[in-house]
Amino acid sequence: MNAVTPMKPWKTPILRVLFFVLGAIKPLQSGLKNLSFIHFARWVIIDRTQFPHLGPKQPQEKLQYDYLIFFSNFNGTWNQYIDAFSAVLSTGLDAIWVWSEKFPGSVPVTPFKGYINQVQFDTDYYYNAYPRAATNDVKAALRVQDAFTDFAQTSQTLSPAEFEKAYLEFLVRVQADLGSTGMAPVGT
Amino acid sequence: MIDSAKIDSAKIDSAKIDSAKTGSTKIDVSDIQGFALKGYNFPYARYLLLELSHVKGARDFIGQIVHYLTTGERWEEKPVSTVNIAFTFHGLAKLELPEPTLLSFPVEFQQGMKARGEILYDTGKNSSEHWEPVWRDNRVHIWLAVNAQTPAALEEQCALLLQIANQTGGAMLLQAQDAHAIFIDGKPTTKEHFGYTDGFGNPDFKGAERDCVPGQGKLTADGKWEALATGEFLLGYADESGELPVAPIPHLLARNGTFMVYRKMHQNVATFRSFLEEQGRLYPGGKEKLASKFVGRWRDGTPVELSPDRMDPALVADNDRNTNFTYGKDLNGLRCPVGAHIRRGNPRDAFGFNGELVNRRRIMRRGLTYGTYVPEGQPVRDEDEHGIIFMALNASLFRQFEFVQQQWIEYGNDLHQGNDKDLVIGNHGGRGKSVLQGTADPQNPPFLCANLPNFVELRGGDYFFMPSLTALQMIASGTVDPR
Amino acid sequence: MANQSGQIYGLTILSPILEGDTLDIAHATALRWYLASLPRDHTSPFAQVSSTHFARLVVMDDVVFVGAPAIEEHLKSRYLVFETNFDGDLDAYLARMAKEIPDFVDSVWKHCVGYPGVADPAAFVAYMKKCQIETTFFFADVNNQTVQQNLKALQLQSALSHFIGQNQGKPAAEIQKSFGVLMEHLAKAPAPLPGGRDSEKTAAEDRPYDR
Repeated sequence: MNAVTPMKPWKTPILRVLFFVLGAIKPLQSGLKNLSFIHFARWVIIDRTQFPHLGPKQPQEKLQYDYLIFFSNFNGTWNQYIDAFSAVLSTGLDAIWVWSEKFPGSVPVTPFKGYINQVQFDTDYYYNAYPRAATNDVKAALRVQDAFTDFAQTSQTLSPAEFEKAYLEFLVRVQADLGSTGMAPVGT
Repeated sequence: MIDSAKIDSAKIDSAKIDSAKTGSTKIDVSDIQGFALKGYNFPYARYLLLELSHVKGARDFIGQIVHYLTTGERWEEKPVSTVNIAFTFHGLAKLELPEPTLLSFPVEFQQGMKARGEILYDTGKNSSEHWEPVWRDNRVHIWLAVNAQTPAALEEQCALLLQIANQTGGAMLLQAQDAHAIFIDGKPTTKEHFGYTDGFGNPDFKGAERDCVPGQGKLTADGKWEALATGEFLLGYADESGELPVAPIPHLLARNGTFMVYRKMHQNVATFRSFLEEQGRLYPGGKEKLASKFVGRWRDGTPVELSPDRMDPALVADNDRNTNFTYGKDLNGLRCPVGAHIRRGNPRDAFGFNGELVNRRRIMRRGLTYGTYVPEGQPVRDEDEHGIIFMALNASLFRQFEFVQQQWIEYGNDLHQGNDKDLVIGNHGGRGKSVLQGTADPQNPPFLCANLPNFVELRGGDYFFMPSLTALQMIASGTVDPR
Repeated sequence: MANQSGQIYGLTILSPILEGDTLDIAHATALRWYLASLPRDHTSPFAQVSSTHFARLVVMDDVVFVGAPAIEEHLKSRYLVFETNFDGDLDAYLARMAKEIPDFVDSVWKHCVGYPGVADPAAFVAYMKKCQIETTFFFADVNNQTVQQNLKALQLQSALSHFIGQNQGKPAAEIQKSFGVLMEHLAKAPAPLPGGRDSEKTAAEDRPYDR
């Protein structure tokens, strides 16, 4: 998802400070990690004078607003994603977008979805290195790998009786992380 | 205004309307159909699936039926039978509701359940080409449901209603779907054909007449249970996100109404029983324990989260305890497997955030079994007619039923089970798998079930709108005005 | 460094797109058509630059007018937005693009102002850095694994799940032996291709356990 929103220039420094603070204290980061459906996301503030200008033939931008661009790589359907944000991350989201013009707040969810629809723009080309794996799958696979590596070290040198016990413990360690990967449900 | 600087976060929080703080919700029980407000728990039912012909006869029919409808009013004495009615989108169109009104209904209701097949994973064995003919061509316009205490009362009420249909020439019977509780030793039970005791854990919402049962509502910050917002189950009332649910116009048509999904779920009893036998032999805890892990309740109803090692009849009988549990201390599924059926249907606090992500995904179930019950040990075939008429009510099919079906039953990412489906009702196509978590005790090990077949197959159904009595009068007199 | 999270780099590039009166098709349109035709699976150029986790390209026509009383304003140029999340160092990544996928880079950035071509990798890197916008806040859920590490882990997870099912209930000695075989097999198996195989009908071969 991509979204671009205008901000009055006097508000931009406040948002920069806020992001700095958020980065340090990490309440938003932990909320996002717990929701566990975003692989990567970023916010980019573009100052109104900062649009790249590469040559005399390119006209100079003359803008009154600064712009906040948001990119995310997420799992799930668009509605599910916005519903979840509105339900459990509203304070953090509001703190980021309240500086954008006409932001209605992330609660209740219907006007919030209306605003996002307005400020979204479409991706022309998208590449995902592991398209059949959700963030949860990646995290689960990494845990399984750790467990496997640990168990593999001694697995072949144990007696069968010892192996049986160790294998059972190994299964217990990985048992919640064995979901299959595959295509996600269709968006609605 | 636009120039305002910071939005006080306290104001944001109070925007979430919490009617618990503003006093209890009063709902007009005499205007709401009883089926939406309470489970009647009558042992017999018949769902008359009707097709409407011409609009005048149809409106006459509705106008007369209205007088027989059961509302949500408290009963002094239980009636011998009840009557309720709901409409598909095509039914409302046949009744010539104004175009703007029809177009204001939620998209999924306009499309109907058959068209939503891709979204719901009603593909392969569950796709509409395998459905009963009555469900395949959008001819079902009305669901007219009679619930009764005795077969005689059922016949009498149905005959009366069909007589009205004939008299008015308004509606034609396409199919009469019978359903009834499974009787064991002459007594009606809440068992279904795989042997599980069903019927626990329907959501509590504000304004409903019955007492709150711990575990059925939503979790509060201090770990108590509270009734959900009325607007999760009835149109015209605030919902859990602090706004009114999407509803058709005019307001009076929508208010006190709700949406219902109806799905005829055929059960492959032979396949299930042989699967359970065979896997039960391989599973150290034995067949009954394995069966309990599939669902999250033992077949007698004992919740596995509270009692993972044995059945507990006293616990089952105690309404203060039998659905009063959370998964917060069992996030890895050591007691109740992470993908167990009831955990998928209602994850409670399994996703963290104190259950917030689940509060808007609850559905009110009203299903009933159909077909002859075959006791365990007696020969049974998959083709025999038995299953569950699954019916669920919610204010938003899209946000509630469709979401649970698509994201939690037929998919597992939110539960950290990847693409794994619900073992019991998932559309596996022979290639499904499910991991039942366990402990390092060799009697209770992790257990993986693979190559899962479809234990349940969809044979038809649709989405219905269940209007209030006020709305029904408007429909019957052709006075729906979309402004 | 706001562009970095763990060992993942978040690159945001806005390249102004050429306008021209002498063309049949506007640069932005041609660019869009080109992007629509590009494969997204293991045959994608970004699978080739295999340190790429996620990448997107967006033709941004304009900023959004959010409605009165906000002021309506417009960009004078269109911009190609390139947002990518990859392992390691920026210079190394850009150099890889110039060296390993030059045709793709040309096909895209030839539509942009000031593009110097890829013949001189240093010039290309300098050009891209001129178009770079600093990431203000970067979130990466998993930020300490390369693409290949993730893919290997996913491969292992899938193989192990299958193994567990196949060996359930077997005698311990037998499982132990089979587990040894699994270990060897996984150690030797090549990392799965990034990007997946969705352009091909037969995905079954290297993902037999997927649905």
